[in-house]
Amino acid sequence: MSDNETLAEFDFHGKALDTIFDDYAQMHESKPVGRSSKYGGFWYICKSEDIFDAEQDPQTWSVGPSMLLPSFGTEMPLIPIDIDPPTHAGFRKLLLPMFTPMAINKLEPGMHSTAIELSDQVKSAFEDSDVVDVSALFARPYPTIIFSRLAGYPEQDWPLFDQWIDDIIYERTKSPEKAKAAGDDLIAYVQRLIDDGRAGKALEGITGELLNATIDGRPLTDDELVSYGYLLFLAGLDTTAWAIRSSLWYLARNKEAQALLRREPERIVDAAEEFLRTLSPVQAMARTAKQDTTVRGQEIKAGERVVLVFGAGNRDPEIYDNPNDIDITRENNRHLAFGGGIHRCLGSNLGRKELVISLEHFLATIPEFELAEEEPWHGVGSLRLRLTGGE
Amino acid sequence: MTKIWVDPARCQGHARCFMIAPETFYIDDEGYGHVVEGREGAYEEENTRKAIRNCPERAIKLVETEDA
Ligand code: SF4
Repeated sequence: MSDNETLAEFDFHGKALDTIFDDYAQMHESKPVGRSSKYGGFWYICKSEDIFDAEQDPQTWSVGPSMLLPSFGTEMPLIPIDIDPPTHAGFRKLLLPMFTPMAINKLEPGMHSTAIELSDQVKSAFEDSDVVDVSALFARPYPTIIFSRLAGYPEQDWPLFDQWIDDIIYERTKSPEKAKAAGDDLIAYVQRLIDDGRAGKALEGITGELLNATIDGRPLTDDELVSYGYLLFLAGLDTTAWAIRSSLWYLARNKEAQALLRREPERIVDAAEEFLRTLSPVQAMARTAKQDTTVRGQEIKAGERVVLVFGAGNRDPEIYDNPNDIDITRENNRHLAFGGGIHRCLGSNLGRKELVISLEHFLATIPEFELAEEEPWHGVGSLRLRLTGGE
Repeated sequence: MTKIWVDPARCQGHARCFMIAPETFYIDDEGYGHVVEGREGAYEEENTRKAIRNCPERAIKLVETEDA
């Protein structure tokens, strides 16, 4: 297939992620704004500068009907990511104080103890078996536990969560019915928590705070609370699991990087940024043009869907030296992994901290490791590792 | 003189500035970045420069002011 034919079916989900970095290189080389026929047709934008400009311009680029393409299995707009100004600001403002560095720092002791506990469990698993799936034992449970604590979800419910996420996020391009069913379960779950709260049961964490919060002087409606809960759940669990898994995937294949971070763990902070830049869980998000406009000479008509390909912007040769090299000592690393502008990921302080702390303890506890077999860089599927016997 | 300034219209509270150079930047209760009082002139320090380069919104600017 010629370059442009490949890009004409550009996709950023599932299997397509296997070779997506080649697509990005082609885009940068030959077609920085192009049209894909997938998901009803959309324009993609791949240059860091163009993505940045679009994010700063919500007047031209609406997040409706959904920032997700295809959308999750719900009819409701997700608060606040699917809401445009001016309504957006109030909804976002409610959440902001709950995600500042100071608020997140309060979770730090728990983040450490949980990371230590799970690392120890991985270590014992290696005593029983040569090959251990650290995605199932570490990358996935870690954010589930940390986020559920923050959100105030009772511990006995946690085992339900991963399947919902798999179905909603990963099955939605293959089997929308399954995604819808899981979405309904999740909505019913959040609704049950709200009902309990309204009936006087003390709710903890964000769920409790939102129940007591007001917007424009009135309490939030059930629909609004459900929408918040649904979004935070999907945004908080799977993305961080992916980031931890993809970082470990990279380290398993790069023993020098592993050795450097073990020797100088203070470098994990910069390394984490580099993993986020190059292997980020959110490779793209959608917008809709509110009016006719032009991007890099390409006309885009009002109503057309546009995909901001953050992952491609993060590998823009105009912005980064050797953009496809994963250089864990890179210092100039202004990237788009959390998006930007008014819809910037609210959980970035939380996600970054979870990634850094989990890697710290994993590397401190588990000796040199490698992949037991080839696995994709992306997703939250298995990551089977084996110890090399080194270090 | 030259001063570091966080443009409130641009800052979206990524807190990169504070994580990289906490001696120069702080985050308010709403999550937005500001320059620590008395540190407006620290733009030549390595940490501060790194913070400016890494602000995802390019919200941290150097501005010229009249006062001495
Ligand atoms: S890094 Fe930039 S956007 Fe983030 S808080 Fe600091 S000034 Fe604001």
